[in-house]
Amino acid sequence: MPIEPISDLTLDQLDRDGAIREALDGVSSRAGFLGKAFVGSAALLGALAAPRRAGAASPSDNAILNFALTLEYLQAAFYTETQRLGAIGAELARVPRQLGGVERAHVAALQDVLGRAAVKRPRFDFKGTTEDQVEFLRTAVAFEDLGAAAYKGQATRVDSPALLAAAVAIHSVEARHAAWMRYLAGFTPAGRAFDEGKPEFEVRRIVASTRFIVARPRTTRRRRPRFTG
Amino acid sequence: MANDLRIDVFDPAARCEPELYESRANVLKRAFAAGGAIVAGGVLVAGLPRSAASAPSPAQDAEILNLVLLLEHMEADFFAEASVRAKLTGELLEFAEIVRGQERAHVAFLRDALGRKARKRPSFDFGEATQNPTAFSAAAVALQDLMVTAYNGQAANLTKGALEAAAKIVSVEARHAGWIRAITEKNPAPEPTDSPRTAAQVTAAVNKTRFLKSD
Repeated sequence: MPIEPISDLTLDQLDRDGAIREALDGVSSRAGFLGKAFVGSAALLGALAAPRRAGAASPSDNAILNFALTLEYLQAAFYTETQRLGAIGAELARVPRQLGGVERAHVAALQDVLGRAAVKRPRFDFKGTTEDQVEFLRTAVAFEDLGAAAYKGQATRVDSPALLAAAVAIHSVEARHAAWMRYLAGFTPAGRAFDEGKPEFEVRRIVASTRFIVARPRTTRRRRPRFTG
Repeated sequence: MANDLRIDVFDPAARCEPELYESRANVLKRAFAAGGAIVAGGVLVAGLPRSAASAPSPAQDAEILNLVLLLEHMEADFFAEASVRAKLTGELLEFAEIVRGQERAHVAFLRDALGRKARKRPSFDFGEATQNPTAFSAAAVALQDLMVTAYNGQAANLTKGALEAAAKIVSVEARHAGWIRAITEKNPAPEPTDSPRTAAQVTAAVNKTRFLKSD
């Protein structure tokens, strides 16, 4: 399947409920340097939803999307909380604002494609890393390196070409973020000529080791009422 | 897809005679239809991927990997020349020297993967872009952004094996893009996605740089 048709889709066709656009509008109005370019980007994120509307994504693709959604929830919540607390000041203040907007847009796009199959947002406790400049940067580096490695680990497992195109377009943004956070933290932004991916179990083990996820939301599946005779 | 072809794409300055201009466009249309050669700024770059790709296959992999090999050659040469000539200091010099080595590694990797199918290294003329820090920075940002969108544009056209390899390179290009943008105080990740470019769009962008020598 050629990639061209994706970029031919308009935002309106794809983002019918406006969730992606709303998330992006939040970024673009707050950060003045983001302009019309966002529409093309939103269309691509909206393309995530195209397979669902054309038919169903494969069960395996749904599992990958939910895995990605879990990571995006984690990142989005981290930057959103940092921005809300306002303790990261000076020139770093634009980091949680910018990254929060982008990660929230990723969340909205993944939720849109998954529809009712989307996993629910967990509850988080970032243990002070959203209030301390050094801890914030260190955590952001870890999250962005992990995000890039996680998307890369799934690239060859995606069935749908349209989903693959959208996933790689997010993957490289996570890598840009990783380089940016490393630069700000004083680490080499690109330490190796080749970046390795990480399989899902390893990414989940690393996320679990942070203990940032404190509670899984209750399943929304409603049990059938018991037959009481 | 024929409707991906735009004349302005191939000779933005319209330096040539109208008849020649027209004939170039026709050559291109035939080339795309046959999946064959593309004329880029007067340089014949044979066998780049067609804009409307067919199902992934080893033959298509070779076309795509040759396209990105051309780009990696361009970057490797650009950074090699700039790190010597552009009077870079501090962060810019560190960036250029590290990236130079990594782009060389990408070239070696792709040539190895392509084996006898690897096309020859073209020659480049970077003009002012490797002569001073300001011109270098602007060109480096543009080149790194281009690399990311070029790889992204081909992801779904590659077989799984080639995709796995390309994925290990594209995020390094994205790191380079984020890095040089951070150094030059540009937004390192201005959009929530890096939109893919088709092979035709990549060729057009390469042509626009005028870095590729025609002789």
